[in-house]
Amino acid sequence: METIVSIMSRSLYVSSIAALIAFAIAIAISLTLSRLARRKAEMVLSIFEVFVGVPTTVIGVLLYMVFYPRGPLGILGILYTPYAIIIGEFLVALPIAVTHMFRHVYELKDFVRELVLSLGGSENQAIGILIKELIPIMISSYFLAFSRAIGELGVALIVGGGIEGYTNVLTTAIALQTSLGNYEQAIQLGGILIAITTTIAITLKILGEYIIWRLR
Amino acid sequence: MEIALENIWHSYDGSTYVLKNINLIFKEPGIYILIGPNGSGKTTLLKILSLIIKPSKGNVLVDGKDFWSTSDEEKSLIRRNIVFVHDKPTLLRGSARYNIELGLKLREVKKEDDVIEFASRYGLEEALDKPVHKLSSGQAKTVSILRALLLKPKILALDEPFTFLDNTRVKLLIEDILDMVRNGSIIVIATHYMYKDLEVISNKIVEIVNGEISISSSK
Repeated sequence: METIVSIMSRSLYVSSIAALIAFAIAIAISLTLSRLARRKAEMVLSIFEVFVGVPTTVIGVLLYMVFYPRGPLGILGILYTPYAIIIGEFLVALPIAVTHMFRHVYELKDFVRELVLSLGGSENQAIGILIKELIPIMISSYFLAFSRAIGELGVALIVGGGIEGYTNVLTTAIALQTSLGNYEQAIQLGGILIAITTTIAITLKILGEYIIWRLR
Repeated sequence: MEIALENIWHSYDGSTYVLKNINLIFKEPGIYILIGPNGSGKTTLLKILSLIIKPSKGNVLVDGKDFWSTSDEEKSLIRRNIVFVHDKPTLLRGSARYNIELGLKLREVKKEDDVIEFASRYGLEEALDKPVHKLSSGQAKTVSILRALLLKPKILALDEPFTFLDNTRVKLLIEDILDMVRNGSIIVIATHYMYKDLEVISNKIVEIVNGEISISSSK
C-alpha cells in the first residue's frame, strides 16, 4: 500500500513541473501577443479562453490516442507514466496561465514604457521596471497554473492510469479511495490537497512581496 | 536645447490623423502653451515632442538632428533632457517616495534632501511613505509633478498640470516653472482652459483644433 507521503511527493513533482512549463510558455505567448494590435491579440486570446473551458477528460482522451502504442507518438512509450501526466497537466494549465497573464502584460507594457520614457529613461530600463511590476501577476499566474494542474483528475487518470507507486497522484488516489468506499482516507487526501494549495499560495504571496521589497 | 517639429502628421489607426501638418520650434527658454478642446491632439503632440511617440510622418529634430534616426544609445541620452508629465497621475505600485524618486533612480542619482524639500514645499512630507493607492487625486498628481521637477529637465512637457491641484499647489507649481525658465528650461503646457496666471507668464500660445494649428502667437 503506497504511503500518503509518496503520493503527495509525486503530485507535487508532476504538477510543479507542468505548471512551470505552462508558466514559462505563458510569459512568452503574452509578450508575443502584446506586440500585436489589440484586436488581433484579443482574437488569439479568445482561442485560449475557449480552451480554459474544454473538459479535461477530452484532453485526456486526445492525449491517450496520441500516446497509445499504435498512436502517432506511441513510440515514445510514455502512456501510463508520470511524463504523460506532466504533458496533460501542462495542456490543462496553459490556457488559464495565458489568459490571466496576457491582459496585465498588455496594459502594463505600454503604461510602463511610456512612463519610463517620459522620465528620460531608456527602453531597457522600461523592460526592467515592467518585469518588477509583473512579479505579482507572474506569481498569481504560476499559482493558477499549479492549482489547476494539481487539482486535475481527468487527464491524470486517463493518461496516467493511477498506478500505485508509479502514476498515482492525489486526485486519482481520492477517486480510487472514494470508489472503494474508504471515505475517511479520501477526505484525508482531499484535506492534504487543500493544505498544499493553501501553503503554496501563502508562500508565493510572501515570496512575491519579499522580491518586490528587495527590488525597490 | 532645441526641438523642431517639421511637417508632423500622426495617426493611431492608419486612417484618421489626429495631428496634421504641425510645424513648431521650441528653442528659447520660456513657457509655451498648447491650448485646444478635448481630443484636439494636444497630448499626442506633447508625446511626440517628448520623444515618446514616433510620428507617422514628419521629422523631429533635436539640435538639428533627426531624433528617430539616431542610435538607441543616443536616443537614451537625448531623452534624459526631456520629461513629460501625464494628465492623469501615473504611479507605480509602492510608496509616494518611491514614485517621486523614480526618475532619479533611472539616472542613478540620489537627492534625498531635494526630495524632502520639494515634498515639504508641496505639503507631501507626511504622505511620503504612504502607498500610492492611499493618496488622494491631488496628492497623486503632486507626486507625478514632483517626480518631474526634481529632474530639472531642459524641456518639461506638462499635460493639464493643474487638474486635481488646489490653488496653493497651482501657485507653487507656477513659481517652480518660472524658476526653471530663469535657469534656461523650456516648459510646454497643454491645457484645454487658459488660466489667467498662465496667460500672463506665457511666451507663446499655440491653439490646436482638430489636430491642426489654428492660431500661434508670441509675446
